Amino acid sequence: MGATAEQYLRQLDTGRRPDLPETTAGTLRLDFRDDGSTDHWYLTIADQQVRVTRSADDAELVVRADRAVFDRMARGELHPGAGLLRNELTVQGNMQLLMLLRRIFSGPVGARHPQELGRAALVGRAATTARNERS
Amino acid sequence: MHVIAGNLFAISDAQGDIEADPQAPLGLFAYDTRFLSHWVLRIDGERINALSRDDLTYFETRFFLVPGAASHYVDADVSIIRHRSVHDCLHENITVLNHSSQPAEFTVRMEMASDFTDIIEVGQLRQRAVEVSADPASQRLVLRYQRDRFVRETTVRSTAPAEVDEQGMTFRIRIEPDGKWETDLHVSATMGGEDGRDLRADLQSHQQTVRTGMREDLVQWLDRAPQLVAERKGLEELYRGSLADLAALRYKPLSYRERVPIGGLPWSMGLCGRDALITCLQTMAFTPELAPATLRMLALMQGGQLDDALDEEPGKILAQLRYGETGAFSDRASALYYGAADTTPLFVVLLDEYERWSGDADLVRELRHPARMALDWIDEYGDLTGDGYLRYQRRNERDGTVNQCWKDSPDAIVDSRGRQPAFPRATCELQGYAYDAKRRGARLAREFWGDPAYADRLEREAAALKERFNRDFWMPHREYYALALDPYGEPVDALASNIGHLLWSGIVEDDRAEAVAEHLVGPRLFSGWGVRTLASGQRTYNPVGAHLGAVWPSDNALIAAGLRRYRLDAQAARIADGIFDMAQTLGGAAPEMIAGYERSLTTFPVQLATSCRPQAWSSGALLMLLGTMLGLRPTGDNLLVNPAVPEGFGRLELLDIPGRWGHSDAYARDRTTERRHRLR
Repeated sequence: MGATAEQYLRQLDTGRRPDLPETTAGTLRLDFRDDGSTDHWYLTIADQQVRVTRSADDAELVVRADRAVFDRMARGELHPGAGLLRNELTVQGNMQLLMLLRRIFSGPVGARHPQELGRAALVGRAATTARNERS
Repeated sequence: MHVIAGNLFAISDAQGDIEADPQAPLGLFAYDTRFLSHWVLRIDGERINALSRDDLTYFETRFFLVPGAASHYVDADVSIIRHRSVHDCLHENITVLNHSSQPAEFTVRMEMASDFTDIIEVGQLRQRAVEVSADPASQRLVLRYQRDRFVRETTVRSTAPAEVDEQGMTFRIRIEPDGKWETDLHVSATMGGEDGRDLRADLQSHQQTVRTGMREDLVQWLDRAPQLVAERKGLEELYRGSLADLAALRYKPLSYRERVPIGGLPWSMGLCGRDALITCLQTMAFTPELAPATLRMLALMQGGQLDDALDEEPGKILAQLRYGETGAFSDRASALYYGAADTTPLFVVLLDEYERWSGDADLVRELRHPARMALDWIDEYGDLTGDGYLRYQRRNERDGTVNQCWKDSPDAIVDSRGRQPAFPRATCELQGYAYDAKRRGARLAREFWGDPAYADRLEREAAALKERFNRDFWMPHREYYALALDPYGEPVDALASNIGHLLWSGIVEDDRAEAVAEHLVGPRLFSGWGVRTLASGQRTYNPVGAHLGAVWPSDNALIAAGLRRYRLDAQAARIADGIFDMAQTLGGAAPEMIAGYERSLTTFPVQLATSCRPQAWSSGALLMLLGTMLGLRPTGDNLLVNPAVPEGFGRLELLDIPGRWGHSDAYARDRTTERRHRLR
């Protein structure tokens, strides 16, 4: 099992994130639902940086879900868009900020780079050729 | 019979009734889900029969009906009018008229049910437990389906008093002589969100939906587009019809505030990256407002991570967005899917093209980051084997798309003997798009992003790609470009329409363009109506195979534009002429494709059952062909008009073409009328 969303946010790199558009800025509040209580995480995004604080203040986008749903998103197992369609998470406000969570959280473990497939195809061919030459 | 409002649409039989049919997507659909699968009107227990129908607009239809079968309605002294319209919900006004001199009593019954099928499952229905609650006190019937937290709900309300039961509503009515009775049925489709509210209620993007009249909206849409004055009979109607189709095929995604084009009725009523991008490119001179909305929406959904299930990579532009149950739960292809190798370069092509027309430099600056990510994607993730070509191979082997190019059926990419190449595949048109994207990216970097070094780099890369491509794809003894290269660099030698896209992108060496053009309008590729996807004589050629021989207007529109780019005007005119003949012969919206049979053999265009109609990039194709005949091209702050009109079109005027020049007019006439004119 990878990290939980909470661990992920605590350790989030506060440096520049080149994968975030420099023209996007906004505030997101993530409401983690536990049995009977709610934990608030507040994300401020500006200049390709993400600042994480604990606050229940209003934000431009509020995302609510069970803690386990956030954990799955943080590990890249659940795309925020799919979570919304399944109604596992609910959002209020500026939806455009929701898609940033995909980049702020990590991608799924074990995903392959497309060039791995390309290299495998070439290696496979080389092996076949070598076999044919030997026989 | 259909009415459409974006991705909410209803398809019924000629009576206006809906009965689920595994062969056809009948029903009321919204966000890829069927909200009504049964909607049948009876009078005194009898089914009704249509006398006539009046399609008022794409979102509104009136059915004129009488009880009973066609054989015995002659003396009917009762008639029924169903007036149906859609916008964010479905409305049906039912009026019953008593034409006799006596008061009459009737039992009007509307049968109602829903199966909440995901549209991609219409052919293979599965049983869903649907909860029905009849609420006679408020004249309301609620149909509800739930899976975990996923809720879809249909609510039917009547304005007239009704007896509500779990299968529908009954109205026991008495109508005075020459009198009438009516009710309004409102059917709303809800996607469950927080606390049972529709999830759209909490989205800013969907709160400003001031429900301006649909009618007004359509009038304004048509008003904003240029006006066509054409001598050729039927052309003006075809033009206005295409514009209306494009108006119908717009919807507002959940995450976005403006409307973007959707694929086509009925199978792709959601955002398809490729269709949307091509549609915007086709309609730039006519309905440019589609482009910024599409660019912004696609930028928002741009890939951010490596994900095998979604075939996603950072910077990649979306292939498809689905809202149905199977997508949400990844039972089948996922809600967001990125398996397309062409959408990312086309995104850059569209951004540049839009600026050339509109002069909207702010948008180019706003979208610098996503455009740069898209350009980076081409080399970092799109070049799979390291040979400098854009390739694809799916990582989601369960339900990912096999061929991630516009010819996306699994058997579309074959050599002349029908053999399928290994993966990853580099189809030729992808190289053209990549070349075009780099050249246009260079212009944007130099003129708007203040990055001349990057512009130089892109230009060098583009030049190298063109040179490499013309060496590796060109087959000298056949005088055309290979359809693709396999991973080892071997050409896939089929003769296919893809070579026409190469002209459109400008990657063809000047001295080879004519040979390519002769193939395109030659007997193997050209059917008489248009260019076939695959040439006759290839082993797997099949005139009714979508990508193995059928003729697509969208494909042909790009090819004709490419021919004109290389000044091959006569060949371009032949294609434009054939496609317009086809569209006018069929009447109505241009189909997604027609069979590739020889025109002289069938004399009538043969439509294919799986084809979508209306289809955004087919309606867009007709507009693009018009623009190509007129030779519209922005140069600096002016609109250049350089006509090459096929014979028989006569005079052609396109007035008030919007762009950075304000509004401009284009006048043209075909050569025969030109000569006639001069003789006078």
